[in-house]
Amino acid sequence: MAMTMTRTRYLSGAESKLQEIRWGFQHLSFLVLIYGGRFGIHLGSAVPCFACPFVPGCGGYCYLMGLQGYIGFGMRTLSTPALWAAFGWMVVFVILVAVFGKAWCGWACPFGLIQDWLSAIRKKLGVRERIVSPAAQKHLTRLRYALLLYLVFTPPLVTAGVLPEDFYLAFCNICPGKALLPLFVGETKYLGLNPDNAVTLGLSFTLLFITGGTLVGMFFKERFFCLLCPFLTLIHLLKPLTALGLVKTPNACTGCGSCAHACPMDIEALEEDRADVQHDTCIQCCQCMKACPSHDALNLDFFGVRIVSSSKGGA
Amino acid sequence: MITTQDRRFRLLQRAAQKCAAESGNLLDTLRGREDYQPEFEYFLDLIKEPTAAATERRSGRTAIRLLCIQAPLELIHAAGFQPFRVFSGSHAASALATQGIPALVCPLLRAVLGEMALDKANLSGHPWILPTTCDWVVKLPEMSALTGLPSLPEFHWMELPRLKNDGNSRKRWMDEIWRLKDFLEKTSRHAVTRTALLASIEAYGRAADAFQKLKTSRASGRLSPVWFLLVGNAFFLDAVENWTEQVNRLEKALFAPRVGQNRHARIFLAGSPLVFPNFKLPFLFEEAGLWVVADDLCSSERLFPGKTFIADTSVFGMLSTLAGRYHQGCLCPIFADNDRRINNILGRRPEADFRGVVFEVLKGCHPYDLESFTLEKGLKAQDLKFIRLETDYSPEDTRNLLTRLEAYRATLEEA
Ligand code: SF4
Ligand code: SF4
Repeated sequence: MAMTMTRTRYLSGAESKLQEIRWGFQHLSFLVLIYGGRFGIHLGSAVPCFACPFVPGCGGYCYLMGLQGYIGFGMRTLSTPALWAAFGWMVVFVILVAVFGKAWCGWACPFGLIQDWLSAIRKKLGVRERIVSPAAQKHLTRLRYALLLYLVFTPPLVTAGVLPEDFYLAFCNICPGKALLPLFVGETKYLGLNPDNAVTLGLSFTLLFITGGTLVGMFFKERFFCLLCPFLTLIHLLKPLTALGLVKTPNACTGCGSCAHACPMDIEALEEDRADVQHDTCIQCCQCMKACPSHDALNLDFFGVRIVSSSKGGA
Repeated sequence: MITTQDRRFRLLQRAAQKCAAESGNLLDTLRGREDYQPEFEYFLDLIKEPTAAATERRSGRTAIRLLCIQAPLELIHAAGFQPFRVFSGSHAASALATQGIPALVCPLLRAVLGEMALDKANLSGHPWILPTTCDWVVKLPEMSALTGLPSLPEFHWMELPRLKNDGNSRKRWMDEIWRLKDFLEKTSRHAVTRTALLASIEAYGRAADAFQKLKTSRASGRLSPVWFLLVGNAFFLDAVENWTEQVNRLEKALFAPRVGQNRHARIFLAGSPLVFPNFKLPFLFEEAGLWVVADDLCSSERLFPGKTFIADTSVFGMLSTLAGRYHQGCLCPIFADNDRRINNILGRRPEADFRGVVFEVLKGCHPYDLESFTLEKGLKAQDLKFIRLETDYSPEDTRNLLTRLEAYRATLEEA
């Protein structure tokens, strides 16, 4: 019998560089989304991650801002071009999510990168990471849905006159991205209190409070803010349409648990005996694949084609 | 007048001579092989003197004696010790421990008792780490007292939960890992630091990488399974850094596969640990024309279940990752929920391309014995040819085993 090895799809060396490639891509995306506008790059108003429009000269707008604006202003004007614009950006958003799924969170989000920088500092200092238990994760999931509902239902209430005008872009007003991302272009004004009226004062105070809490949380827990982020929920709701998926081969798994230990989102369900392990909080960072010592146990599929798989040498 | 003491002294002396002859013969055989290369000499030297004292001399560290592979080696290393696994495949040593204990004791544990009596590996009077794995391991201190050992070592027990997929068990095991850390710190009189632990994890990661290359060489026919087993057996006998360097050196120097090897049938080897000088089965596999391309022995491939990936570099984070690796990731049959062990074999199939599985059980090794039946069912269902061999350290069943293996090889060729 011939002693030839069966051909495998593992590109050894190349695949073990996956995390370095991701790290590089995150930085590139950060540069484009924060400074792109200064060089004539603008990716539009449906970017499925924190491309914050409050950053002067940014390279694209976060769809959460667009969504709030279209729901609010769109309902107010009801003009055909505004409605077409809202619909158009929604289609673009759905297409972007359908193609790249949660990779927007793990590979492109500038706010995700800030969280990863803080984690890198924590790791350097050897400070222990706090684990979010499955019970706490359930509460946080409820909170994420509540934030999404707040984001979607506040604009019509403003349009209907139930809430004051200052509640427009309700989520943006309390989003820590608005406070922190403009700092990278030297804009500090969102870090102060806005004393115009009681509502602006309350919202700006809430923003500062959330930003402070988020910074502490992000230091002690990897991707802490992602656990609260409405994008995670919104993109997850489109999961049936997405082409990029984390797929497990249950009978290649030895149950060692390395994947769950490595996962920044503490997804224990990864160890389970099922093919669909794409959890609602997964950010497709592929850390689990790097940690998994079993060939083919964890895989990333794109339009049904396997693009990366776990291996003994690390993905 | 000859006293009992004199008689015992002579008995031990004879046993020591037999042990030396046993390993000396094997070393000569290995050196005389056609595929011998000078790069094997380092490993042969280690095996020639497999004692804790020699290991301490070579590694420059105090040896901590271990049974089984569930105590995290990285933690022991980070505490400044050299992990030294106590195991033996010596027929002469196992024949020494017969009185006062049951007839059907696992040969490996019987040989360990014999080695303790000979104190060849300088085993008594030093702390041991014993995870509560199989019944024989748990009863080892009791058996060693029954066989009349003059001085028993200090045993640090690690209570190993027999359930892996249970949150409570995992918490209990994590407590055991902290207890081990305390024990090591007390013994060494200095703290296990974060940087030391990280450095140890990296050192063992490099060892895993080197071993991985060797696995590929074995599967591709560049390295014979006999030598592969020898390299794995030598792992605990020197500092991990030295061993890794030598494995890398060997891997680079390996010759291309010999033409004759193409005629071998590729098999996966599962079952009880194979330990030097009990190389009876590896030689028989060769004789029968079988090539072990992959295995799941705790004396071989399972020493390195893969590289440990650390996401949280705090001491807590590293210890919890190691705890998971050495408990949840352990495929030893003593666990109640070990149903995924079969996945490890099936998962290796596409890459290692084997047609059959040979399962060897050491007589008296109950957990492997029992699990062989479960695996047989599952593997046959996946169209893999399965053979179960029950043996011990004696050479008496050699002919019978060879006949069975040759017949098995014929079935592989028909498949
Ligand atoms: S499941 Fe894997 S890909 Fe998803 S967040 Fe966790 S580590 Fe990243
Ligand atoms: S790391 Fe891989 S083998 Fe281990 S439990 Fe996760 S998927 Fe299974």
